[in-house]
Amino acid sequence: MIKKSLTNLAIAATLATAGTAAFADCGDVQIAEMNWASAELMANVDKIILENGYGCNVELVPGATMTSFASMNEKGQPDVAPELWINAVRDPLNAAMDEGRLHSTNAGPITQLGEGWWVTPAFQAAHPELDTVVKILERPDLFPDAEDSSKGAFVGCPAGWGCQLANANLFRAFDMEAKGWTLVDPGSAAGLDGSIAKAGDRGENWFGYYWSPTAMVGKYGLIPVDFGVPFAGTDNWDGCIVKAEQDCADPQASAWTVSEVHTIITDSLKNKGGIAVDYLEARTYPGPIMNAMLVYMGEEQAGGEDAAIEFLMQHEDLWSSWVSADAAAKIKAGL
Amino acid sequence: MSLIDWNKLTITEPPVLPRELLRNFKKGIDGAFRDFSRTYGEALENFFNPLLMFLKWFQDLLVATPWPIILLIIGGLSWIGSRSWKMSVGAVLAFVAIGWMDMWEDTMATLAIVSVATLLCIAIGIPIGIWMSRSDRAQRIITPVLDVMQTIPSFVYLIPVVMLLGIGKVPGLLAVMIYASPPIIRLTNLGIRLVDAEVLEAADAFGSNYRQKLFQVQIPLALPNIFAGVNQTIMMSLSMVVIAAMIGVPGLGVPVLRAVSNQYLALGLMNGLAIVAIAIIFDRVSQAYGKRLQKHREGDHGV
Repeated sequence: MIKKSLTNLAIAATLATAGTAAFADCGDVQIAEMNWASAELMANVDKIILENGYGCNVELVPGATMTSFASMNEKGQPDVAPELWINAVRDPLNAAMDEGRLHSTNAGPITQLGEGWWVTPAFQAAHPELDTVVKILERPDLFPDAEDSSKGAFVGCPAGWGCQLANANLFRAFDMEAKGWTLVDPGSAAGLDGSIAKAGDRGENWFGYYWSPTAMVGKYGLIPVDFGVPFAGTDNWDGCIVKAEQDCADPQASAWTVSEVHTIITDSLKNKGGIAVDYLEARTYPGPIMNAMLVYMGEEQAGGEDAAIEFLMQHEDLWSSWVSADAAAKIKAGL
Repeated sequence: MSLIDWNKLTITEPPVLPRELLRNFKKGIDGAFRDFSRTYGEALENFFNPLLMFLKWFQDLLVATPWPIILLIIGGLSWIGSRSWKMSVGAVLAFVAIGWMDMWEDTMATLAIVSVATLLCIAIGIPIGIWMSRSDRAQRIITPVLDVMQTIPSFVYLIPVVMLLGIGKVPGLLAVMIYASPPIIRLTNLGIRLVDAEVLEAADAFGSNYRQKLFQVQIPLALPNIFAGVNQTIMMSLSMVVIAAMIGVPGLGVPVLRAVSNQYLALGLMNGLAIVAIAIIFDRVSQAYGKRLQKHREGDHGV
């Protein structure tokens, strides 16, 4: 069933692009447009830059992590996955890269991305010296819990999310209960966001779990906190921290595991792509800019294309460093 | 600027505000609320702080009380309410089962918030209901407000409540009360309005003053209805337990949420059934009490 629909997708894509080939410099390029905001933005920016700057003939193919990856892996279409989260597809991706079917052109298209523990900017401004988790843990008095102000509130993950287990185990690993902390269950994504919004709007201290790139991080300027301890190995993380409490008897304090996001391209694009591939290698979105764009998309209810145009208008100094001066002039004229 | 986006207007698309205007309208509301929250949030939180402390104290008390005493209280209250041995034994057995399935602490947390919510609903709802029954204008104004409170999806007011008061027990309690207080208000109003005009005439004839008429004639005769309202209020606050858990209220709703997002069938079912058990006990006991009140009154008046 899946295979059939993938074949249909590939056929439809081929038919759609067959009519308009040839005149372009770099030929036809299919870019997977994943179904979340940051990936939509990246796919549309890639489309505009490749079309206007390099004369490629770009088509966006809607997709999701698993479906787009499977199609690229099996059919060699689409050619580019701008924002592929590796953890979900690590084993088959490694196999495909070993066999030379897929290549990673960019191991970090967005910086400062991933999960971790964050604080509000008001806290960092007031206490710049408390710049690691280990140091913050000594000061539970700065984050008084509403129900028991003698304790510090650490806002964890909503009940039932995978990260709830990781946060609960790290809470034990850092011995936070003895240090005077309480692990607050925000109940739901809305509860978690609401607690950040409340603290952010009022300039209060907030310490808890979140991830990036997200509009919340951009909107409230949340700051990721260095854990102050190194990542304590995958055995500890995969074998203990992400497991239920009874399966993790002795968790070790550790930094959060790194989330890897790559820009993945097919072998055929790598061979014929030339300058298009150079561009994909060079383009890196700093996390804060990506988060600000997500805020813009949320507030203006902008789709990927509107957001891409907004990005190209607002951040010329950023994207012009990804492309040649000649291409930059063409892109600018195209806007 | 035009108030209708003429470009979009067709025979199938109704007139719609221009996108820009609509967005500014929404942004304006959000901004106004944010300013309000910045200015008064702190004060509101302080205002509700005693309530939070009381809730926490009550929950800690319930959790810390030895279980045999809780069972004794449950059995005793059921007996006082229903005067039925079957009811009391059933209630005690239900709580034993809840403890046996390791849901005791969550159940105590749920009991704490539901009983405080019910008491507050009664304390606020009965006076409002009385006021509504005395004044047709009050009834005209309050009835639509109650309609809104009962039908507006709870998620809509959870967000502003959280932004004002943070996550935790007090915002949860407010959410529960918004949903659970209308029945007690409505049924108090209804009960008093249903008191026979002849009975009131008789009271007038005996020279009762306003206060005597209210407290010695109307409210006693309305008690069965008022009790139906209390019963409904309890049921509705129990039904809000899971939604309250979404903004960090501890209790039986938390494991239910965990079960929903992880497809833990047994966990969800057990905690759901624990909520049902509490609901059935409260319902049967309060209904039996209400019925006994009614019987007593009927006998009194020889109807």
